[in-house]
Amino acid sequence: MTQQTRDEVGGLLPHDEFRAVGDAIVTNIEQVIEGKTATVQLALAVLLAEGHLLIEDVPGVGKTKLAKALARSIDCSVRRIQFTPDLLPSDVTGVSVYNQETHDFEFRPGAVFANLVVGDEINRASPKTQSALLECMEERQVTVDGVTYPLQTPFMVVATQNPIEMEGTYPLPEAQRDRFTARIAMGYPDAGAELAMLDGHGATDPLESLRPVSDASTVRRLITHVRQIHVADALKRYAVELVTATREAPDLRLGASPRATLQLLRTARAVAALEGRDYVLPDDLQALAVPVLAHRIIPTADAQLARRTTDTIVADLVHRLPLPQEHRRSSYDTRPTTDSGRARYEPRRA
Amino acid sequence: MISQRNLGLVAAAATLLAAAPLSAIFDRSTWLFQSTIAVAVVAAVAALARLGRAPRWGQVLAMLGGLLLALTWLFPSGAELLGVVPTPATIGHFGALAEASLVDMRTHRVRVPDTDPLLFLTVLSIGGIAVLVDLMTVGLRRPALAGLPMLAVYSVPVAVYVDSVPPLPFVIGAAGYLWLLAADNVDRVRRFGRRFTGDGRGVDGWEASPLAAAGRRLAAVGVAVAVLLPLAVPGMTGDLLDRFGSGTGEGAGGAGRGTASQVDLFSALQGQLNQGEVTDMVKVTTNESEPFYLRFGTADQLRSDGFRARPPSGTAVNREFGPTVPDREGITRSRYRATVEVTESFDMPLLPVYAEPVQFKLNGRWSYDPNQQVLFSNRERSSSKRYEFEYVRSTYSPTALRQARPLPTEHSLRRQTAAPTVPEVEALVDELTQGQSTEFDKVRAIYDHFATENGFSYALSTEGGTGGQEIVDFLTNKVGFCQQYAAAMAWLVRAADIPARVAFGFSTGTKSDGDTYVLTNRNLHAWTEVYFDGFGWVPFDATPAYGVSGSVRSDWAPDLDAEEEEVTPGPSTTAGPAGSGSGTNPNQAEEGLEEELSGQPSGTGTPTRTGSSWLWAVGALALLLLLTAPALQRSALRRRRSGRRMPSAVPAGVATGGASSGDHRMMVLADADRARADAHAAWDELLDTLVDFRQQINGAETPRATASRLARDTFRADTEATSAVRLLGRAEELARYAPDPHPGEPLLPALRRVRAALVAGSDRRTRLLAAALPPSMVLRWRGAVADASARLMSSYGRFRAATLRWSPRRLLTDRHPR
Repeated sequence: MTQQTRDEVGGLLPHDEFRAVGDAIVTNIEQVIEGKTATVQLALAVLLAEGHLLIEDVPGVGKTKLAKALARSIDCSVRRIQFTPDLLPSDVTGVSVYNQETHDFEFRPGAVFANLVVGDEINRASPKTQSALLECMEERQVTVDGVTYPLQTPFMVVATQNPIEMEGTYPLPEAQRDRFTARIAMGYPDAGAELAMLDGHGATDPLESLRPVSDASTVRRLITHVRQIHVADALKRYAVELVTATREAPDLRLGASPRATLQLLRTARAVAALEGRDYVLPDDLQALAVPVLAHRIIPTADAQLARRTTDTIVADLVHRLPLPQEHRRSSYDTRPTTDSGRARYEPRRA
Repeated sequence: MISQRNLGLVAAAATLLAAAPLSAIFDRSTWLFQSTIAVAVVAAVAALARLGRAPRWGQVLAMLGGLLLALTWLFPSGAELLGVVPTPATIGHFGALAEASLVDMRTHRVRVPDTDPLLFLTVLSIGGIAVLVDLMTVGLRRPALAGLPMLAVYSVPVAVYVDSVPPLPFVIGAAGYLWLLAADNVDRVRRFGRRFTGDGRGVDGWEASPLAAAGRRLAAVGVAVAVLLPLAVPGMTGDLLDRFGSGTGEGAGGAGRGTASQVDLFSALQGQLNQGEVTDMVKVTTNESEPFYLRFGTADQLRSDGFRARPPSGTAVNREFGPTVPDREGITRSRYRATVEVTESFDMPLLPVYAEPVQFKLNGRWSYDPNQQVLFSNRERSSSKRYEFEYVRSTYSPTALRQARPLPTEHSLRRQTAAPTVPEVEALVDELTQGQSTEFDKVRAIYDHFATENGFSYALSTEGGTGGQEIVDFLTNKVGFCQQYAAAMAWLVRAADIPARVAFGFSTGTKSDGDTYVLTNRNLHAWTEVYFDGFGWVPFDATPAYGVSGSVRSDWAPDLDAEEEEVTPGPSTTAGPAGSGSGTNPNQAEEGLEEELSGQPSGTGTPTRTGSSWLWAVGALALLLLLTAPALQRSALRRRRSGRRMPSAVPAGVATGGASSGDHRMMVLADADRARADAHAAWDELLDTLVDFRQQINGAETPRATASRLARDTFRADTEATSAVRLLGRAEELARYAPDPHPGEPLLPALRRVRAALVAGSDRRTRLLAAALPPSMVLRWRGAVADASARLMSSYGRFRAATLRWSPRRLLTDRHPR
C-alpha cells in the first residue's frame, strides 16, 4: 500500500479520456444498480471531488450494493465496517498492540486504512465510535497514541443509514454530517429496472462478477484533473450567495457551513468534468445544491410543523435565487439594491 | 352647546365673508349693512332656537321667520304691524320688489346703484344662504356642503363681468369658507378629547398635529394641481393663447373688450383704420337702394379730455320701438328691412344697426337704447352674430330744418350736451355763427367750415385725441381723419348751444352682389349727429369725402368739395368708380396717404385661429411620439445589438481568404471579449424578445435551463427553433462561464429564427403589442422610474434626517418626558 504524492500523478487528462474513464465506471456500476444513472454519477463525482458520501434510504433499495459496486469497480483497497452499537473507536481507527517479540507497541491499522471505506448502518454505532471518523474524514489521517498516520489517496467513506428506523440508532451529530460531501437517496427503482433486476439477480449475485475498470492511480489523475476545472467568478459568487441564502432563510435554524461551499464547488467541478466540460455551469451548482447542502442544515420548528423538509427548502432557495450576471445589471434583475445588501428572494413576474 | 353656538356664529360670519364678491357689483355698500343685519338676525334666531332645544326643522323654520322679519323691517311697505310684523300687503310688496328687481337687473349694469328691488333681492339671497349654511354646518355637521350655497354667490359677479373679476373679494370668500371648515374640525378634535402622537406623546391644543405636515403637503399638491391642470388643457387657455397668437396690436381687439360702457370707441376706430390688412367685418343686406351709414355706437359725454361713450341703458329688443320724433312736414320717412351678418373680426358688446330701428329679429340678451340708438349687451359679443331688423330712414329737407327752434333750456338733452369752455373754440364758433339766425344755419356754417377750401385735408397719421387741446390743434393744423372731424364738429356745435354727439359706424362700403354691402375695417367711420327740436338726431359728416370709402352726403349736408356740381336731390353717394369729388379712388388715397405719411406701427394682422390649431398639431405630434416611443426605442435597441453581432460572423483582424463565416478556427481566433459581448447582446435580445411575446423570464434560471424550457414548452415541434434557442443558450453560458467563449456558430440567424417562431406561435394581440408597445421597453421604463423615485426618496430622507436635527419641534419633543 504505497502512498503516492500528488506530484507523481500525471497532468491534465484530455476531456475525452476523462469522460471515457468516468463512463466506464458508471456503466460498470450500473450492471449492479439498474436505472439509477444520476445517483451513480453523483457517487462517482463525490469520489472525484475527494469527498465522502452518505447514502440514506429505506432498507433494501441497494445502498450497500452501490457502495460495494463503486469500490469494486475501482481496483483499490476496500474495507467494510458494519456499524453496531458495540463497535469501538479503535475498531475503526486502529490500535497499538504490544509486540512481545520486539517488546514494543505496534500499531495495527483499523478499518479506515483503505481507499474506500464502506460504513454500513453508520447510525447504529454509538456517537463515540461515530466520532472516530471525524479526523479521518476531514484530515485524512489517524492519530493513535500521539502518532499520526496518513490515510491513502484516494480516500472515501461511503456510509449508509436508514432514516426510518429510529430505535436503537444514534443520529449523526452535525459535525459528522457536515463532513459528508453529499447525501443521496437511492429511491425505489422503476418497474422496468426492478424487473430486470429480478432477471439478473435471480441466479447469481452480479456483484461477484463485477470486474474493476479503473485503479487508484487513474482515480488520482482524475482527481487532479477535476481540480483544474474552470469556475467563473460569477459562479463562485453564486455558490457563496446560495450558501448565504441558507443561512438567512427564515425556515432554517442552521445554514450550511463554509466547508459546504467548498465541497459544493468541488463536486460541481467533478460533475462538469464527468460531463466532458472544462468549466462549471450554474446548472451544476443548482443540481448539486440539494444533495450537498440539504443534509447539513436544520429547519426551524415551524418549517418542520409545516412539513417542509430540508430538501424542499433548499430546492426552493435555488429556484428563487437570481443568477449573478457580470456583464450587466439586467432589466429583469430581481435583486433590489437595498441598504443591507441582502437579496430578496421573491422573483418578480416578468 | 357652547361649541354649537360658536359654530353658528362662525357660519354667519363665513356667509358674510362669502358675500364679499358682491361688492364688485354694487356701487355702494348699503347692501352689506342690510345683509349683515339679516344674517345677524338669522344667526341670533338660530342660536335661540338651539338654546330652546328646538329640532332641526324647528331651527330652520325659526331662521326663515327671522329672515322674514328682517326683510320686513328693512323693506317696509308701510302696512306692517309694529314695523316688523309682515301683513299680506308686505308680501305683495315683496313680490313687486322681486319683479322690479328683474327689470333692474336688465337695465342697470355694474356697478349698479342702490335700488330697493336689487337690495331686496341681495338681502333675501344672502339671508337664505345664511340659513342654508347654518343648517349644513350646525344642524347636519357637514360644513363642506355649505360651500355650495357660498359658491352660488361667487357665480353672480362671474356671470355679470364678462372678462375680469376683481380677485380680492374671492379670496375673502374663500377665507370665510376655510374658517368654517377649520372651526368645525377644531370643534371635532376638541370633542374627541386629548390628542396623541403615534408614540403616545400627548399633543397640546395649540400644538400642530403630527399629521399637519402631511396635510400641508396634500394641500400644496392639491392647489398646485388645481392651478396647473387647467393650463395643460388646451381649450381652457384659449383666451391667453389667442392673445399671444393673434397679435391684434393696438387695434380694437384690445380696446373693444369689456362691456358696452367700457369700450373706447375712438381708440378702436383709429386702431382698426390703421390696420395694414383689410378685414371683412360686417355684411349687410338691405332693401333700401342707397342706405346711410350703419351705426353701432355714440359718444355723447364731453369732458375737457374729449368725447366718450355713455353707458347705454335700454330695454330688451323683443318689442317694437316707435320713431324718436313724430312725423311732420319736411321729414320723409320710409321703412326698410335689413339683414346683418357680423364676422369674427368685429367683436364688441355692440351691434351695428341703421339709425331708428323699429323691430328686431335677434337671438340673445340684447337691449336697445332708443336715446343713443344703440343696440348693446352686457353679456354677449357681436362676433359671428346674424340678425334682421326693420328700420325707418328719415331724410330732412333743409327748409324744414331751418324751422327748427332752439331747444328749450330746461330740455333734458341740454344737460347732456354741455361743452367745456375752450376760448379758441368759443371764438371760432362766434365767428362762424355770426349772422346766422336759425339753428340749422349755424350748424351748416360750422359744417361748411370743414371744407377743403378752408385748408382741411384728410390724413390718418395724426394723433387721435378728441380733448380740448387736441381739437384746437386740429382746427389749427386742419389735418385729420373722421374721428377728429366728427369730434371737432360736435364740439363746435355744442359750443353753439346746440346738442351734438359723435356717432360711430360703418360707411356704406362696397356692394358685393345685389343688395349686400361688405363692410371692412376701412369702412369704420365716425360722424356728427346734431339734435334739432322736432326732428331728432340729424347726421352730418364733416370728413372730406375723398377720405372716406363709401361716404354718403345729403341735401342738408352736401359734399362741400363738390358743391359747384349741383347735387342731385335726395341722398347720393360719392363713392364708387365713377364717383364725383376728388376723383381719386378713396381707398387708394387713404392707403397712399397712410403709406407715405405714417410711420406709425400698424396692426400685425387679423385675429386668426392658427395659434390653437398649431398647438393641437404639436400636441397630436407629441402624443404620437409618446405612443410610438417604446416601439422606436425597442427597434433601435435591436438594431444596435444586431450591429454589434455582425462582426462576430466575420471577425475583424482575420484574413478572410477562403474562410467561411461558420469556420470554427476562425471563430476561435476572434477576440474573446468581443465574442462574449456578442453573446451577451444576443442573449439580452432573446430575453427582451421573450418578454415582448409574453414568455416567462426567471432571473434564477440558467441560460441552459431557459433554452431547454423554451425548447420543451414553446417550440416543441419546431426543431430549427429548438436548436437555435439552444445555440443561444449555449453561447451565453460559454460567454459567462467558460474560458473560451466561442460558440462556433453565428448567432444572428438563430435569433431571427427564434423570433420568427415566437411570432408564429403567438396570437394577434400579443403580436400587436410586441410591435406597438413592447412590454420589455415598458418594463424598462417602469424600472427606470422606480429607480429614480427610490433615489429621490432616499435623498429626500437623508435631507430630512439632516434638517430634522434643527427642527424646533424636535427640541420641544425632547423637553417632554416620555
